[in-house]
Amino acid sequence: MANVVGAAVCRTAADEGKPADWVPGGERQKVVDPMKMFHELPREMQFITGSEAARESMRRANIDIAIAYPITPQSESMQQAGYLYDEGYIKEYYRAEEEIGTFSAISGASRAGVRSLTATSGPGLMRGMEAISSWPGARTPIIMLNMCRVINTPLAIQPDNIEMSFMLNTGILMLHAENQQDFYDFPLAAICASEQVDVTLPAVVSVDGFFCTHARGPVMITPEEYKLPPRDGWRSAVPAMDNENPPARISRDAPIQKSNFISYHMHSSWQQEVFAAVQRSAKYFHAYLGGLVEVVNPGAEDFIVASGCAVSQAREAVRQEGEAGRKVGLVKIKTIRPFPTEDIYEALKGAKRILVPEFNQAGWLHKELCSVLYGRTKGVIKDGPRVYGGMTMPTEMILETLAEFRKEVK
Amino acid sequence: MIKQDNLILTRSDPSGQGGTQLIYRLKSYGLAAVSRPQEEISMIHWEVDIVKFSNENKASFEICHTTELANKTLKFYSDKSLNEFLEKAFPYLEELDSLEKMLPQEP
Repeated sequence: MANVVGAAVCRTAADEGKPADWVPGGERQKVVDPMKMFHELPREMQFITGSEAARESMRRANIDIAIAYPITPQSESMQQAGYLYDEGYIKEYYRAEEEIGTFSAISGASRAGVRSLTATSGPGLMRGMEAISSWPGARTPIIMLNMCRVINTPLAIQPDNIEMSFMLNTGILMLHAENQQDFYDFPLAAICASEQVDVTLPAVVSVDGFFCTHARGPVMITPEEYKLPPRDGWRSAVPAMDNENPPARISRDAPIQKSNFISYHMHSSWQQEVFAAVQRSAKYFHAYLGGLVEVVNPGAEDFIVASGCAVSQAREAVRQEGEAGRKVGLVKIKTIRPFPTEDIYEALKGAKRILVPEFNQAGWLHKELCSVLYGRTKGVIKDGPRVYGGMTMPTEMILETLAEFRKEVK
Repeated sequence: MIKQDNLILTRSDPSGQGGTQLIYRLKSYGLAAVSRPQEEISMIHWEVDIVKFSNENKASFEICHTTELANKTLKFYSDKSLNEFLEKAFPYLEELDSLEKMLPQEP
């Protein structure tokens, strides 16, 4: 049976239950330069859920293979990915046996040089953490969508982004989407940055589950007839592997498994290179996203620094404070890795009070901020409000914390 | 597409439950439409309240369940039905404001 016309993989129209003249959706799209896609193509507003925004992002991302195991609240997005597979926008897609299998398999796919996508949520991410933490060292530019959810007991499926703290020091590029718009834009930017020769790293785009994935919001999207250029597996810091004729030892650096000075030195330098590559990715995110941070009301005495859904709540708090005649600044952090230390410092160097609201118990963003600004700013950095386990963060909670903060620091 | 006429503010639902709130304003009256997250996507809907603004220049308002248009929170299960309602509500709210101003003001 003949392959589908132009298809890169062995999917036949008959196998797919399609008419004989069926052409996969991806084959009908035109490749467009990423900068043109991000900044020049016309956009149309749609009012869609975060999961649907992820679908539209995947539709334009020229994905070769998607592998995932369902978990709430990620399932909705990967169901949407299933529709894309059916329509021929994703070339291969299957449900793996569980998350360790998922994340090991997607690593193999990426090593073979194809654009590889996976997705998960809280406990699923924790289950696959061993495989995930091996991705950066293997220099596999995988894109992972992470719909954050509670990970610890008692069991809950509500939003809480504590799981992001477990990835901070793995060498993965990390972006945190504020809303449905970001969940459309960020995966495309992350793919392009992660596949640059001087980066060649996996990227995860996290979003706060349910609040964004299962709720509708305005999203400006580009025409669906355009897609990103395909991945070139040979244009990479570590060339693609021929998986049909794999090397005898899969490990790329067998000497590293020995216990001697040379092996320690190799491992050390390899890690240094991974984390240097994280820093090198910053210039690409600057170009694709217009900056690693967004600053509202520069020069204010009071600032809120946040990522993810906390930004939306802080944004409204800033607006209400403005109505009351008080200027409050906002720094939205788009990229958690690379962490935009200098951009943040530049925005906050004149700030007196810096508030960090978060949707997790650990306060990982507050800790990050304290560590990079220590000794560099005179502003007092306060954590709060901090909600977790699926709790909500009403705008008035931020306003109350800000009012208390003003009393504490005159 | 959701109606954009008279839309003065699109924001994350301030209650913190996720979702988007749209605020429409016609003089001193308006509508607050919110679409919140649902575990089943098919259950996502609009909840709409008639509101009365308390300040000319601010988006602060009180929910108003005393108009003839609606005495409770209304639910719409599609953008089309919401748009149809907005289409009819806009002239009513504008008229209501004008009529109220014609009434004798309490000293």
